[in-house]
Amino acid sequence: MKILVPVKRVVDYNVKIRVKPDGSGVDTANVKMSMNPFDEIAVEEAIRLKEAGVASEVVAVSCGVAQCQETLRAAMAMGADRGILVQTDVELQPLAVAKLLKAVVEKEQPGLVIAGKQAIDDDANQTGQMLAALLGWPQATFASKVVVTDGKLTVTREVDGGLETLELPLPAVITTDLRLNEPRFATLPNIMKAKKKPIDTLTPEALGVDVTPRLATLKVEEPPKRKAGVMVGSVDELIEKLRNEAKVI
Amino acid sequence: MDFTLTEEQRMIYEYGNRIAERFDHAYWRTYAEKAELPQELFQQLAEDGFLGLMVPEEYGGSGLGMMEMLLLIEGLANNGVPLLNLVVGPTMTMGLLAKHGSEEVKRRFLPPGCRGELKYCFAITEPNAGSNTMEITTYARPDGKGGFLLSGQKVFITDADVADYALVVTRTKPRQEVQKKTDGFTLFMVDLKQKGVSKTLIPIAFPLPETQWQLFFDDVPLSRDDVVGEVDAGFRILFDTLNPERITLAGLCAGIGRFALKRAVEYANERRVFNNTPIGAYQGIQHPLAIAHTEIELASLMARKAAWVFDEVLPAGEYSNMAKYAAAEAAIHAVDHTIQCFGGNGFTKEYGVYDLYGLVRLLRTAPINREMILNYLAEHVLGLPRSY
Repeated sequence: MKILVPVKRVVDYNVKIRVKPDGSGVDTANVKMSMNPFDEIAVEEAIRLKEAGVASEVVAVSCGVAQCQETLRAAMAMGADRGILVQTDVELQPLAVAKLLKAVVEKEQPGLVIAGKQAIDDDANQTGQMLAALLGWPQATFASKVVVTDGKLTVTREVDGGLETLELPLPAVITTDLRLNEPRFATLPNIMKAKKKPIDTLTPEALGVDVTPRLATLKVEEPPKRKAGVMVGSVDELIEKLRNEAKVI
Repeated sequence: MDFTLTEEQRMIYEYGNRIAERFDHAYWRTYAEKAELPQELFQQLAEDGFLGLMVPEEYGGSGLGMMEMLLLIEGLANNGVPLLNLVVGPTMTMGLLAKHGSEEVKRRFLPPGCRGELKYCFAITEPNAGSNTMEITTYARPDGKGGFLLSGQKVFITDADVADYALVVTRTKPRQEVQKKTDGFTLFMVDLKQKGVSKTLIPIAFPLPETQWQLFFDDVPLSRDDVVGEVDAGFRILFDTLNPERITLAGLCAGIGRFALKRAVEYANERRVFNNTPIGAYQGIQHPLAIAHTEIELASLMARKAAWVFDEVLPAGEYSNMAKYAAAEAAIHAVDHTIQCFGGNGFTKEYGVYDLYGLVRLLRTAPINREMILNYLAEHVLGLPRSY
C-alpha cells in the first residue's frame, strides 16, 4: 500500500508571529519556516506503517512556493521515499489544496492519506475533511491511534467524553492529533539519503485545478493583550464572578 | 561565491533546533551543574548518526567534513547546548583517526566510536607544555620487544573519565636527541583502563558537563598497533586535530552568543522600567546588542571559511586562529551585554544567563589563548619579528 502525506510549509512554531503594519497578513519575510508539526506526526505515522510492513511506499506532497522543496526534503530525511511539489505562487486556501491533493491522489492511487489535523499558521482544520469529501472516501479525523489489519483501518479519536474508535474501509483519509506519536529526528544517514530521493514538480494548471482564492482576507490583527487575573477567595466568589461578571454561566 | 548552505548542510545545522525540543538549555544546565556528561543526549546523537559525521562510510560514519561538523556543533550551541565533548571525541580524535589512522586503527576505533560504544579524549597539554608544545616531556620509550612504555603527565584533559581511550601526544625521542624540535613526536591511542594509567579531577569553577583531569602514565605498555600516523613524525599531523578544535570551538562560541542575544532581545522587548517603554527601545541597550550580533556573525563567517579551507586541504592555521579569536571575543561580549541587559536578574539561577559566562570566558584562554593566537598572526601572517 502506498501512503500519501501532505506536508505544509509554515512559520516555525518557535517564531513570534508579527502582523504586517498594514494588517494585510502575517510578516513572513526573513522568518524561519518549517514543516507544520501535525504534518510531521503524519509523516512519522506513515513511516511507522512502512516499517511495520503495512505500507510499501511513503510519498510526501507539498503545495505552494518553490521553497516547499525544503519541507519535502525534511519529510524525506525522516524517511519518506519521494516527494511531489505542486508549485504555485498563488495564495492557497484549504479548498484549493484539497482539490490539488485530490488530483494527486487520482494520479498516485494511494491506499491511505495521512494529513495533519490542521496547520499552525491558519488553524483552518479543513483540508483533510474537504479532501475526503471530494474523493468520496471515509475519514477519521484527530487520530490518536491508528491500526491497519486485513485492509481495514481502526482509528482511535480523543473526544470530549473519552475515546471513540472508528473502523473504516480503505482507501481513507486520516488526520493526526498531537498524541498520535512523537516524530523522530532526521538521522544523519537519512539526511544524506534524502538528497538522492526524487521530487516531481507539478503545477495546478497541469493538474487541471483552479486555485483562485475564494475567500478574501479583510484584516489581520494581533489578539488583544491578556489582562492580569484576579485571585478569588472561595468557590462561591468564583461562581458569583462567572455568573455576574463574565456572564458565562 | 555562494554562501547558501546545501539542503543537507541546512538540515545538519537545524538538527540542534530539533534536538533542543527534547534536550534544551535547561537540560544542559542540569548536567553542567552536576559536572556530568548528559548520556541520554549522547545516546541520541549516536543513534542519529552524528558521532560518526567525519568518519568514512566504510567505518560506520557519514564521510562528511569539517564544515558539517562545525554546523552541527554551532547549531546545537545556538540552542544553548554547547558540547565540548563533540569537539574532543568525534572531531579531534575520530577526525584525526579517519584521516591518518592505519587500516587496523580505523577498524578498531571508528565503528564503536560512531555507535557511541567507545568514547575518546585528546591529551596534549602538560604542566610545563601548555602553549609550548615543544616542551612535551611525556615519553614513550622502546620496551626492547618492538613496543613502547609510556610515562609522563598530562593536564586539563577534557572528559578523561568518560573516555575509554585517549589520543596521547608524546615524544618517542627526547627533545635533546632530535635535530629539529618538531621531530620525535608520536601519537598513540592509549587505553585509559590499562594498568599504569591514573587520573585526578581538576574541579572547574563554573558549571560545565565536561570534566577536566590530570592524567598520569607510569610505564603504560603500548604496541606499534596503537600508533596513529607514523612513529617520530606525529607533529606533522597534529594540526589536523588542532585546527578542527579551533574551528568547532569558534562555532560553539558563535552559537552561545546567538543564544544569549536571543534571550537578551526577548527580555529587552518585555522589560519596562520608565514610562512603560521597553528597555530595548534605549540605544544604551540596542547598540551593544547590535554590535555583539555583528561580531558573532562575522566570527561565524570566519569559522565557515576556516572549515572550507580545511576541507579543501589548504593551510588552515590563519583562518582557524582568526575564527577562534574572533568568536571567543564576540561570545564574551554577547554574554556580557546580555547579563547587563537583564539587570539584577542576569545574576540569578532562574534566568540562567550568567551560567554561560564561564564557558565563553574559558574559550578566550583555551584551547589556545588569545595572546598566542595574536603572536601567531603577527609573526606568521603579518611577518613581524618574534620576541620570545
